[in-house]
Amino acid sequence: MHVLKQLLGRLHPLIVHLPIGFIIIGLILQVYDRKLKEHNKVISLIYLWAGYFAILACITGYLQYLGEGYSFDSVKLHLWSGIATALFCFLMWAKLKDALKTTLISKTPLVVLSMLFFALISFTGHQGGNITHGEDYLAEPLPNSIKSALGYEVFEEKEIVLTDENWETAVLYTDVVQPILNNHCVSCHNPKKAKGELLLHTREGILKSGENAPVILADHPNKSELFTRMELPVEDDKHMPPDGKTQPSKEAIKLIGVWIENGLSFDKTIGELGLEKSLFQSFFPKTTKTNYPNIEITAAPQDSISKVKNSGLHIDPISESTNYLQVSALNLPSFADTDFQLLKSIAPQIAILDLGGTQITDALIKDLASLPNLTIVKLDNTVITGEYIELLQNLEHLKSINLSNTNFKKENLDKLKGFPALESVFLFNPKLDKSGTEFINEGSTTIEYGNYNLPPLKTDSIVY
Amino acid sequence: MKNNIENLIAEKLKREIETQTRRHFIKQCATGMGGLALGSIFMGCDPLSPSKNNNNLHTGFTERDLNPLATLSPPFAPKVKNVIYLHMAGAPSQLEMFDYKPELAKLNNQECPQSLLEGKKFAFIRGTPKLLGPQATFKQEGESGNWVSDNLPHFKKVVDEVAFLKAVHTDQFNHGPAQLFMHTGSPRLGRPSIGSWVTYGLGSENQNLPGFVVLTSGGKAPSAGKSVWGSGFLPSVYQGVQCRSKGDPVLYIEDPDGISRDLKKNTIKAINEINKKEYSKYADPEILARINQYEMAYRMQIAVPEVMNINNEPDHIKEMYGVEPGKESFANNCLLARKLVEDGVRFVQLFDWGWDAHGTDASTAVDLGLKNKCREIDRPMSALLLDLKQRGLLEDTLVVWGGEFGRTPMQENREGKTMGFKGRDHHGDAFTMWMAGGGIKKGASHGQTDAIGFSGVDGRVSVHDVHATILHLLGFDHEQFTYDFQGRPFRLTDVEGEVIHEILA
Repeated sequence: MHVLKQLLGRLHPLIVHLPIGFIIIGLILQVYDRKLKEHNKVISLIYLWAGYFAILACITGYLQYLGEGYSFDSVKLHLWSGIATALFCFLMWAKLKDALKTTLISKTPLVVLSMLFFALISFTGHQGGNITHGEDYLAEPLPNSIKSALGYEVFEEKEIVLTDENWETAVLYTDVVQPILNNHCVSCHNPKKAKGELLLHTREGILKSGENAPVILADHPNKSELFTRMELPVEDDKHMPPDGKTQPSKEAIKLIGVWIENGLSFDKTIGELGLEKSLFQSFFPKTTKTNYPNIEITAAPQDSISKVKNSGLHIDPISESTNYLQVSALNLPSFADTDFQLLKSIAPQIAILDLGGTQITDALIKDLASLPNLTIVKLDNTVITGEYIELLQNLEHLKSINLSNTNFKKENLDKLKGFPALESVFLFNPKLDKSGTEFINEGSTTIEYGNYNLPPLKTDSIVY
Repeated sequence: MKNNIENLIAEKLKREIETQTRRHFIKQCATGMGGLALGSIFMGCDPLSPSKNNNNLHTGFTERDLNPLATLSPPFAPKVKNVIYLHMAGAPSQLEMFDYKPELAKLNNQECPQSLLEGKKFAFIRGTPKLLGPQATFKQEGESGNWVSDNLPHFKKVVDEVAFLKAVHTDQFNHGPAQLFMHTGSPRLGRPSIGSWVTYGLGSENQNLPGFVVLTSGGKAPSAGKSVWGSGFLPSVYQGVQCRSKGDPVLYIEDPDGISRDLKKNTIKAINEINKKEYSKYADPEILARINQYEMAYRMQIAVPEVMNINNEPDHIKEMYGVEPGKESFANNCLLARKLVEDGVRFVQLFDWGWDAHGTDASTAVDLGLKNKCREIDRPMSALLLDLKQRGLLEDTLVVWGGEFGRTPMQENREGKTMGFKGRDHHGDAFTMWMAGGGIKKGASHGQTDAIGFSGVDGRVSVHDVHATILHLLGFDHEQFTYDFQGRPFRLTDVEGEVIHEILA
């Protein structure tokens, strides 16, 4: 008997759509028939049958409530409104048959009743949906901003940021692990939803079992489902978070494992646990090295750019996302010191300047010093000797100078000291005699003297 | 009389208009608008029109209309400007070069377990083959301690410059489709090559040289033919220009006998005069593009032979590469690659043929012919890295090395027979590639194969991942970099590919 009860109960979601469909058909027909009212007989018949099926739906619904262990509180609205809908079907049937001559209902205009009816069926259906799919089901795909405006609780997704200064004093659980869970797990594993009866929003929830077994076993990440299921391939049915949800990074998953492996501590800092910095590297702010200063700048005037372009120089923004420019004399080997005045109107925007293989001389260095944001400058294959090169010291962004195949003189090497941001200098030149000069690597400047060779080896001539 | 007819026509039109109601208007709007929409859904047949719709290239009259190789900025800050891609056509054996498998040496000559063979397809292996131990000795080299075999003694010195991908995989096991896949992102014909994508996306800085140059060595062109540097559905101006390292670099570029340079100049000037008049009449940008092309061809006649001439290089450089002037060699091509990149050529593609070490004869044996091939590339590719480095070019350039797939840990048994020479069959499950240059983490090694080098067990990367990484370094998001064709946007990486951050600095 219990089996039958459960089976019938489970048919409720199927049967319930019959009255819904009938009622909707009836309402649609009423719209068509609103003027002539010639089909009342048919429509009332439809409502009669809707009523029969609604009763059946009520019965199966009640059986489902009994058989599936819902609490009365969670189903009561749906239950009462379902019964009301069934009764309303008969009321509409009677109204259309004109069987209610003297009551209050007969005086109410039909259209009001129909609208009420529509509202009632919508409300009942929605309540039923909420029971099956959960209250957040409809709102879930909405963006967080709209969700919170609608009054839903939103689990804030927060980027985890560690810095060089604070990473060791950050608490592994509070500052890294829980935020990872918040960002990727809690939207389903929270008190409202509790998928798999698992709660991951607090320490207590994590330690408590889910519906199957504990999800975590201290020191044994491979026996902790919390970790192992995240590690499965996304295609795997058991993988968490499910395919389609935002996936945590490989590094984040690894850290969950590391946390479990290191005794599931809830209060120890990363430093106390003695973990390596490299584990957390992906949570440090990205220091993207770009070939232009990290300062916003306004775009250079278009007519200045056109003027430079028309002179035969090559000019382009370094990327679409910056206003800094790269200028190259690749197609203009005749570029000489006097041509520099072309660049004056775009001086602040120039970050990369390639004057390799041109007619420039040492006198140009003074002009180069007037390009405040110059980051990379290429002066290779010219007659530059390095005189005045110290003038470029005031360029705080200058990272790289290419002086290969120039007449750079050994006595000017020392002038390359003390540049604030200089990383590399290319001084490849077979003629440059660098004996006796020891360039002291100050800061992070490295000088590339080149002159590599690959001395012949015996094996070079063995033919197999 | 005339007036009469005009009156009649006017009257008829008026009648017609009178019968037209608001409903007619709306009804016709529906079909008319629908038709308009349909037009944009199906797009025109004009191959250039989608490029105008592309987000990079604005509608109307752009610099690109006049000069399809005009430069464009990449969407994101690039790490490199140029690419040199060294492709070892035929697929080099990773097991004799980079992927050291001591366990495989122990299992030498033992039968390959069935479990490895199940469900696998091989080009030539039949039945149960025997495992073949590494036919080279390996050492850990440089500060990075990455493994290199003594087939590459010079390369050991530059090993700290490169980042290895030890577990690349492909789904193709025949040369043609695999090469197409490696260079166009699809094993079937019709897609543009990486070089074409890059020149389409970035243009070419040098106005006197092609933006995408292809150099071949080893005696044969790659099996997949010229499609590996073809432009597919991109305008053909973006296809690779094959330059010969022997004889005229580009065929028919020299003036015919009896035509002097001055005469040529005057001819082009005259033609362009006429074209300019034509343009002032019709204002068709195609005419301007043509004028540009003539002028570029004229400039190329001087610039190409100049850049392709390696004789003017100093002796110590020639020695470092081990060049053989006047011959077609990988060494010459490496030196040319540096010269081309130095002159602002966007994408230089080198193909070296002869790596298909099946062991059918001595020249394809992994312990004989393969060693010769290794020797042929060892010095030049090492020299290329050093030369780029000393000139500061390695900061702007990405060097990629690889084949179309790898080779089996089993000895090939063609037709199920034991063969006289030691060879390995095609194998796409795991092979090694390396990259060096701007934005690459020096000395890195990503991915690992199993004990015998059959499959990747960690850090497997696909051909699409390699492409995504190359585009990333050039300043593109491979998912956004598209070209509209046949009604949908196409990507180099199709619907796959992830940037391999593990080898990025």
